Amino acid sequence: MAKDIVISNSEREFILESLRAKQRLDGRNFDEFRDVSIVFGNEYGDVLVSLGGTKVHCRISCEVTLPYEDRPFEGLFLISTEFTPMAGGQFENGNSTGEDEVLIARIIEKAVRRSGALDVEGLCIVAGSKCWAIRADVHFLDCDGGFIDASCIAVMAALMHFKKPDITVQGHSVVVHPVEEREPVPLGILHVPICVTFSFFNPQDSETNFKGQDNLEIVVTDATLKEELLREGVLTVTLNKNREVVQVSKAGGLPMDALTLMDCCHKAYEITDKVTSQIIAAIKQDYAQRDRYAAVLSSENARDATA
Amino acid sequence: MSELVLPGDSLGIHDGVPVILGPGVSCDPMTQEVIPVNAGVRHYIEKKNTVYVDYNAKRYIPAVGDLVIGTIVSTFADSYKVSLSDFSASVSLSYMSFPNATKKNRPTLQVGDLVYARVLTAEKELEAEIECMDSVTGVHAGFGLLENGMVISVPLSFARTLLFNDTFPLLSTLAQSCQFEIAIGINGRIWVSTDKIENTLACYRSLNLCAKTNDSSKFKQIIKEQFKLAANVIEE
Amino acid sequence: MGIQTGYLDQVDGSAHYKTDTTALLCSVTGPIEPKPRQELPTRMALEVIVRPALGVPLTREVEIQDKLNSILGSIIVVHRYPRQLCQITFQILESGEDPHLFDSKELVACVNAATLALIDAGIAMNSLAIGCVIAVLPESDGKHIIDPTDEQLRNAISVHSLVLQLVDGSKVVNNVLLLDSYGDFTEKILFEVLELGEKYILNKAQDFRKLIQERIEASILK
Repeated sequence: MAKDIVISNSEREFILESLRAKQRLDGRNFDEFRDVSIVFGNEYGDVLVSLGGTKVHCRISCEVTLPYEDRPFEGLFLISTEFTPMAGGQFENGNSTGEDEVLIARIIEKAVRRSGALDVEGLCIVAGSKCWAIRADVHFLDCDGGFIDASCIAVMAALMHFKKPDITVQGHSVVVHPVEEREPVPLGILHVPICVTFSFFNPQDSETNFKGQDNLEIVVTDATLKEELLREGVLTVTLNKNREVVQVSKAGGLPMDALTLMDCCHKAYEITDKVTSQIIAAIKQDYAQRDRYAAVLSSENARDATA
Repeated sequence: MSELVLPGDSLGIHDGVPVILGPGVSCDPMTQEVIPVNAGVRHYIEKKNTVYVDYNAKRYIPAVGDLVIGTIVSTFADSYKVSLSDFSASVSLSYMSFPNATKKNRPTLQVGDLVYARVLTAEKELEAEIECMDSVTGVHAGFGLLENGMVISVPLSFARTLLFNDTFPLLSTLAQSCQFEIAIGINGRIWVSTDKIENTLACYRSLNLCAKTNDSSKFKQIIKEQFKLAANVIEE
Repeated sequence: MGIQTGYLDQVDGSAHYKTDTTALLCSVTGPIEPKPRQELPTRMALEVIVRPALGVPLTREVEIQDKLNSILGSIIVVHRYPRQLCQITFQILESGEDPHLFDSKELVACVNAATLALIDAGIAMNSLAIGCVIAVLPESDGKHIIDPTDEQLRNAISVHSLVLQLVDGSKVVNNVLLLDSYGDFTEKILFEVLELGEKYILNKAQDFRKLIQERIEASILK
């Protein structure tokens, strides 16, 4: 990413020097994740996530379509990630072929879609002929590092917030009830994967083989844009609340040992736990605001359907 | 005499009297009408018969005589290419624009080095040129390589105030906390260097925060806190 | 109506524009170095990008881009920046209309957001461009609807998008930058629409001025 941003030698040296003195420019600790804010729009499945200065918007939409021939019992799920110069001049419009752009898209795809976070079988309407196609459009608005982490939170929050119209199946005909007519239904979410990205810096000069006796590489959680530009290695761990490792991605860069990896996973778990709770709390609060009269109008009995 | 103007407003200058147009004011080539083209505070200096609009922006456009901080992005046979802001067209810095430069005695700057320089020519159709000496006298004049230290990006109006307004209290307040070297570029870049890393860090964070608040009465508090914070952490 | 300028950090200027039904973000970066194929010898090249809230950009977005390009090209003082580029990106967050049928509300919201974002970025402009959508409903008898809802758009006999170029304290209309009309209407209705639109836009311009003024006053160092 960020091919054209010029970073001077002075800045490079100073940032590394600070890291050696256990300091980050923004005053965070090495293992501190930036503050996450989750704001929902008017529609279901419309969310704006900010992670420090990074902003990502995600919209979910759905339509009834034909399932794939080889998977008649499953619905379709697509995540679309496209970059525009809005996020920063380093991004080109519609050009998603850059190394970093591809990496971001693939990691989100892997973390959310291929990990089975969305219950695609639940999207089946009539086997082999009709199913729901769910589409997540990720819009990158402002880039201060951590696009992977922020967009993963955005996609998951939007999926959990989204509700699709209710349907009735009569033989081979399907009736889609408009939202005004029948309460829409939420999607089936099987687990909530959260990505946490760690960046590695080599405190010695690049000649030193630091993997010998001393294990001194600096590990920094949730790097900002400047840190991302200078880092020498990157690791993205995706976990869920059940302590399951969904994916580990480390594409080149500094070598690392198993203990560091374990340590990163532990740190990531704490962040995952916190962020997951925050997403759930934000959705709960938004739903409560939406139907302020639900409690009065509800005919539901004590057996809570959402429990 | 100052008031707020927006693009397309009337400037309220009398017709027929020639005026000098400063930043933010343009003469329409078709109608020969003088209008403000930016949103900001209109200033009219009667003595010099000059009108300009003081407006804030993030991106720098070179103007002759401006003091700027640039990063060397590439070297050529007889000049450097220098970036004054990200993604903007680069400017050129000739090898002969250094003090005591001859064909044999070339400057030894590397790609990525920071230079403090002055804009020599700026024509909108051409690549701008900068120089690292006073070309009138040929002396050093304090320009050249900026070693170590750290760079802070700030809005252009903040950089201008810091450089031109001698009563602006930021630098004097900062000086009470530590000794520092500073170079202010009109292109929205400020370079600071101190002898200790925690002091540079505190300067960096203080300047960043001060550039965000516009209330100079808060500067003292911000700087005090940042120096305390940086000193504490390093001690631990 | 909620408007916030300087919403994004990485770009030179931005505006978050929100009406009751439509929400979008506009970012401006420029003047920057263009790619060789974009460069124009005598003026600034504009790269206008419109991204829909849902799905990929289609011909509809390209049409909006084209209209925006000519509107913004006439309010920016393009000859001040020869061989330079200005990237103007729009991200629709909420459309507020059926994207398969209409584009008026998005287009007008884009124009208004761009005016504010360009001012925020400090790009030289010769005037302000402000617009509105007016729908003529069957039962309206002379009372047309400004900034209609999606339902009103569907029921309308004709829909008009109007963008005016304002100068001189934003009190004088210099030119009509856009008048896009769909449906059946008579000359009389069109003039009614223009008159109504002018009044409304001149009012709106004063709101915009206030907003910009507050922003400038807040940015002056004390």
